[in-house]
Amino acid sequence: MSNPVTIIMIEDDEGHARLIERNIRRSGVNNEIIPFTSGTAALNYLFGKDGTGLDHKGGALLILLDLNLPDTSGIDILKRVKENQYLKTTPVVVLTTTDDSYEIKRCYELGCNVYITKPVNYESFANAIRQLGLFFSVIQVPPAAI
Amino acid sequence: MIADVQRKRAVGHILLLAAGLLVLTAISAGSVYLVNKAREDARAVQRTVEVENQISLVQLQLRRAESAQRGYLVTLRPDFRTDFEQAMSELAPALTRLGRLVSDNPVQRGLMDEIMPLYEQRIEEFRTTMELARSQRLNDASKIVREGIGRDTMKHIDDLAVRMRTEEDRLFVERTTNADRSQTLAASITGIGSGLVVVLAGIAIFLVRRSSRARDQADARLRDSHLNLEATIDERTADLREANDEIQRFAYIVSHDLRSPLVNIMGFTSELEELRGDIFKRIAALSRAQSEAPPAPENATDTAEPVLEGPDQKLSEDFSEALSFIKSSIGKMDRLISAILNLTREGRREFEPVWIDTKELIEGIVATVAHQAAEAQAEIRIDALPNIVSDRLALEQIFSNLIDNALKYLKTGVPGEITIRGRTKLGFAVFEISDNGRGIDPKDHQRIFDLFRRAGTQDKPGQGIGLAHVRALVRRLGGTMSVASELNQGSTFTITLPINWPASNRNIRI
Repeated sequence: MSNPVTIIMIEDDEGHARLIERNIRRSGVNNEIIPFTSGTAALNYLFGKDGTGLDHKGGALLILLDLNLPDTSGIDILKRVKENQYLKTTPVVVLTTTDDSYEIKRCYELGCNVYITKPVNYESFANAIRQLGLFFSVIQVPPAAI
Repeated sequence: MIADVQRKRAVGHILLLAAGLLVLTAISAGSVYLVNKAREDARAVQRTVEVENQISLVQLQLRRAESAQRGYLVTLRPDFRTDFEQAMSELAPALTRLGRLVSDNPVQRGLMDEIMPLYEQRIEEFRTTMELARSQRLNDASKIVREGIGRDTMKHIDDLAVRMRTEEDRLFVERTTNADRSQTLAASITGIGSGLVVVLAGIAIFLVRRSSRARDQADARLRDSHLNLEATIDERTADLREANDEIQRFAYIVSHDLRSPLVNIMGFTSELEELRGDIFKRIAALSRAQSEAPPAPENATDTAEPVLEGPDQKLSEDFSEALSFIKSSIGKMDRLISAILNLTREGRREFEPVWIDTKELIEGIVATVAHQAAEAQAEIRIDALPNIVSDRLALEQIFSNLIDNALKYLKTGVPGEITIRGRTKLGFAVFEISDNGRGIDPKDHQRIFDLFRRAGTQDKPGQGIGLAHVRALVRRLGGTMSVASELNQGSTFTITLPINWPASNRNIRI
């Protein structure tokens, strides 16, 4: 991994965020994790002040996205990321409580790369996150630029 | 109020008809009576005329006899004698006839009685004189004639005849008047009756028109209210549907939002559990160091329980107990939330009616539970079942829930017998799932269909969702569901579904 990947975690529930981070760390992934608790803050960071996303040109990002956010819908964020010319190659992992098949289908249609339902059972949850961490360590993230 | 008016109106109609009938009957009866009376009157008049006629005839024959006698006395020619005999032969029946004709009138009868001897006397005189003449005793004969007794008698007879005629004239006038009156009466009765009938008919027509107008108005009102009712029903249905959708959305959102904190609770409880391991390991190490006991051998693995003593042991156990309660509660809550989510998801699923071979479908379900059935020593029998058009998935869920329940709540130690029967009734297919299991107390029959409610001994896992779900599905498929059961007597669940479930009902959610 020549270019260290930054993980953008958009998760309004701080408890979930903490659990996710812990389990990612436990799986041995040490990449920088930038947490956001609201959609607006995450969008501001992703698209920068000018709203074009030019700031992240050439950077390597991975987005962990929760769909149920208080201010914006996670679907909207997904859509905007996948429509942006600099960000569209960024892998997006949707990690949410919704297991509605319609919602899942919609996310994949919009270009989400992985969809994970948060299980209440902690063993499964931890397992899912650790596997995700394993996944992070092997995938090649392209630089966000063309 | 309206019914009262209508009853009054109906009674009025009947009374009117009855009055019309009565008037017609009276007219007919009166007419018949008067016609008969007129006929009688006419006959009486005719008889009067006849009587007068007969009186004249009698007089005429008597005169004829007299003139024949005179002729004979003068000429002694036998022609006159023959003439006389002829007159005599006609006089007798004429008299008899007259007598018969006046037999009903006492006045005339009296006169008749008076006149008859006079006639006989006169005829006797005629015969005497003629006999005398024939035996050449003309003088004696003339003498008798000259005595004038015969003339007096004749005059008397004439007088009497005049009296009879007068009487008959009187009767004639009287009877003619009677006949006239009868006819006038008949005519006026007919006239008045017809008038009455016309008036009644007029009233009847008026009433009929009025009631038909009232009926038209009522019809219009009925149509209006019908339309209103339909509009109201549509409105209410739309409201209900909206409310239902809202409840579904509400349940969906609530269950999602409930799940989110639950993930945290469960997650951090698990973290706590891990911390607990570390804490008690350290406590154990500390207490060992304090008591300066010989160092225990290093634990082989991190997860192995550290060796604790006395109050520390108790603390550790309490800690574990608290955590296990929290975890089991979370597990339960998660199952409930999942159940609500599944229910709302089912409620939102669009049904697709297809032709279903019911027996094949149920055989498929039975095959999937074959293992459980063998464990419970239960036998599942499937009778001939009617095929229906319905939603396949919904039907699968309904039957598999019921068969699962039947297997789950068998009596321990008794081999299970589960029977699935079917029949059709008025466009509906009726399915019965019977078992010989533990049964349900009748007071719980309603409760078992409620969400999260269960009945009987709680020795089997479950959330109390199955039957609520089944009933919701049956209702959405346009059917009904009921249970018949007694404790320890087994249960029979009856499901009634439309044989041909129309696709148009697809979006109606109950």
